[in-house]
Amino acid sequence: MNCKDLLMRLSSAVGVSGREGSVVAMAAEELRALGEVSISPLGDLICTIRQPEKGQKNFMLDAHVDEIGMIVTWIDDEGFLKVSPVGGFDRSLLLASQVSVHTAQGDLPGFICSIPPHLQNGEAKNPKFEDIYIDIGYSKEEAEKRVQPGDIATFVTPTREMHGGFITGKAIDNRSSCVAVMRAAELLGSEDKPYGLSVTLTTREEVGGMGAQAAAYTVNPTHAITVDVGFGWTPDCKKEQCRAFGGGPIIGFGSLLDGEMSRTLIEAAKEEDIPYQTEAMGGGTGTNADSILITRGGVKTGVLSIPQGYMHTPVEKILPEDIENTARLLAAYVKKEGNRK
Amino acid sequence: MIRLIENLCAINGVSGDEQDVAAAIIEQIKDYCEYEVTPLGDVIAFKKGAKHPRNRVMFDAHMDEVGFIITYITEEGVLRFATVGGIDNRVIQGKPVVVGKNKVYGIISSKPIHLIDRDHRDDPIKAADLSIDIGCRNREEAEGLVSVGDRVSFDSPFVRFGDGFLKSKALDDRAGCAVLIKMIQSDLEYDTYFSFTTREEVGGMGAQTATYTVKPDIAVAIETTTAADIGGVAPEKRVCFLGKGPVISFMDKGTIYDKRLYQLALDTAKEYKIKAQPKLGVFGGNNAGSMHQAVGGVRPVGISMPCRYLHTQSCVLQEEDITATYDLLMKLSQVYAICD
Repeated sequence: MNCKDLLMRLSSAVGVSGREGSVVAMAAEELRALGEVSISPLGDLICTIRQPEKGQKNFMLDAHVDEIGMIVTWIDDEGFLKVSPVGGFDRSLLLASQVSVHTAQGDLPGFICSIPPHLQNGEAKNPKFEDIYIDIGYSKEEAEKRVQPGDIATFVTPTREMHGGFITGKAIDNRSSCVAVMRAAELLGSEDKPYGLSVTLTTREEVGGMGAQAAAYTVNPTHAITVDVGFGWTPDCKKEQCRAFGGGPIIGFGSLLDGEMSRTLIEAAKEEDIPYQTEAMGGGTGTNADSILITRGGVKTGVLSIPQGYMHTPVEKILPEDIENTARLLAAYVKKEGNRK
Repeated sequence: MIRLIENLCAINGVSGDEQDVAAAIIEQIKDYCEYEVTPLGDVIAFKKGAKHPRNRVMFDAHMDEVGFIITYITEEGVLRFATVGGIDNRVIQGKPVVVGKNKVYGIISSKPIHLIDRDHRDDPIKAADLSIDIGCRNREEAEGLVSVGDRVSFDSPFVRFGDGFLKSKALDDRAGCAVLIKMIQSDLEYDTYFSFTTREEVGGMGAQTATYTVKPDIAVAIETTTAADIGGVAPEKRVCFLGKGPVISFMDKGTIYDKRLYQLALDTAKEYKIKAQPKLGVFGGNNAGSMHQAVGGVRPVGISMPCRYLHTQSCVLQEEDITATYDLLMKLSQVYAICD
C-alpha cells in the first residue's frame, strides 16, 4: 500500500457528509484485497478482515470518511447560490474562496462573493452563512438548468506536497486516518489469529457520528479504536493546545475512554519503539468514539489522533510519517491485546 | 487577448517587484513601438501613428498586484508579513500563497475553528497576527528558502467559468496591461504614448514619474474597478455591473475627472454602439490621482473594466467587457488626440 499516494487520491476525491460514495468506492478498491467489503445502509464501508472465533475479542478500527462542505439551498433571481454549512465550517475562510459545485452534470467552478475593501465602511466582521452567496457566472435560468438545491459545494485546493515532507490540501481530515486504518489492516491482515478484526470507514461524523454508530452495531466489536486528526502545532496556536508534527500518534485519555486501553496503547508503543504523544479530554472526545462506545451494551473505545495543521481549512497539512506510525501503533495494539487472555 | 491575460496573471509582480511583468510586456510590444524602462521600473512606450495628434495622449495601466511582503522569520521558521496594497483581512486566512523568486509554496495560517472561543468567531484576525507556513521547522531552514523582503502572491490559477467569466489573481491590472498591449499591436491613427507602471497599489509613484517623463496633455488610467453587482447588495450600492461594458469615472477618492473628456467617452461609446457605463459612486482611486497632479497638471480620464472581488485572489471579469474596453479605447485614441 503506497500510503502517500493513497492519501493524495482519497483527499482529492469529494465526500462531504452524507455524500461519501465516491471516496468509499475508491477505498473499497484497496480493501477488497484485505477482507470482505460491505456497504451499510448509511454508506459506511465495513471491511471484515477476520470474524472472531467464538468468545474471542473483536477489534474495530474506525475512521470517518466524510469531510465538511456546503449544501446549496437556494438559487436567487440573479443566479447566485445560497448555501448552508455541512459540518463545523470556519466562516473566516469563506470570502473570495474558490469552490466547486458538484452537480448531476459535473463540477462547476464558483466563487464566494465578497465586497472589496474600497466599498466597506465600519468594522468588518466575519460573514454569517446566511449572508454569503456563490457566484457561478450564470443567470437564474441558466443556473437552474445546472444546479439544484441539495447539490454539494466544496473548497478547491489541490492536494500537494510542500517543503518539509508535508502533504497539504482539503479533507486531510480525515482521509489521513482512513489511510492509517487501511494500512494497519494491511500490517495485520495475513495473521492467523482467533480474534476478529474489522476496519470501518464511516459516514456523517462531521454532523454527529451516525455512520459510526450504525457500523459499530453491525460489527459488534469488543474493542474499538477510532482514528481522527488532532491539532498539530501551527504558528497561531498555543503550544499546550497542540502536539508536535513527527511526534507520532496522539493517544487519547478521557472521561469517556477506557483508561486501561489508553495505557495498553502506550505499552504497545514502547514495546515496538513507536513514537507517541498523549492528550487528555475532560468530556466528550468530539470523535466517533462518543457514538461507538454506547453501541449495543457498550464497547471499550479508544482514540488515536494524527497531528494535523489548519483543521477544517482547505489547506490542512500532515506528515506521512505520523500516519505510518499511527498504523504501526494500531497493529501493535491489536496484536498485544488480541494475544492477551 | 484572453490567453495574453492568463499569461500575464500567472506572473507574480507585487508592488516594487514588477520586473518579470515588465519583461513579459516588453516581449509583447518590442516589435511594435519604441520603449524605455524608467528608474522606477515603468515601461513607457511610444507608438507611431499615421498622423501627429493635437493632444499628446498617454494610456496607463499598472503592472503591480496586491500581495504581501515578508518582514520577519521566527525561530520556529515561520514567516511574518505585511500586506502590500489594500487587502481585506478576511480573504487571506487559510489561503495558499507563493513566496519569493524561488516560488516556495506556503499557507497563510488559520487557527482551527475548534480552538476559537465562540465569542470571537465573528472577529477576523488581523494580518499582523497571521503567519505564513512554508513547512520549515526552524529559522535556519527557512532562511535557506526565503528572505525578509520577499514578495508573496496568492496562489490562484486562472479559471474560465459561467457565461464568459474569468477569474484569477492579479486581473487588477494585468487585464488593463493586456488591453494596452493589444492597442500597441494594432495600427493607430495618431502618435500615442503608453505607460505600464509600478507601485499603483501603494500610491501610484510609478505613474507619477511616468507622467513627468511623457508630459502628456491627457492621461487615461485603464483599470479594473469595484463591481458590487452580487447577491445581497442593493441596486444603488452596486457601483457598476459586469457585462455592461467599460466603466467611465466622473469622480473617485483620488480624482475629479475632466468633465469634457468624461462626456466624450460616453458619447463615443454611444456613437459606435459600444457598451459603456458610468461609475455609480465615489469609491476607490487609481493612477489618475497621481497622473493628473504631475507636470503642472494633466487632464485625467478613468476607464475601467468592471471587476468583482477586487484585491482578492479571485478577481472576476467578463470577457465581453474586456473586448468592449479595447474597442472604446481604440476610438478614444482618435477622439482624444484631436479634441478640445
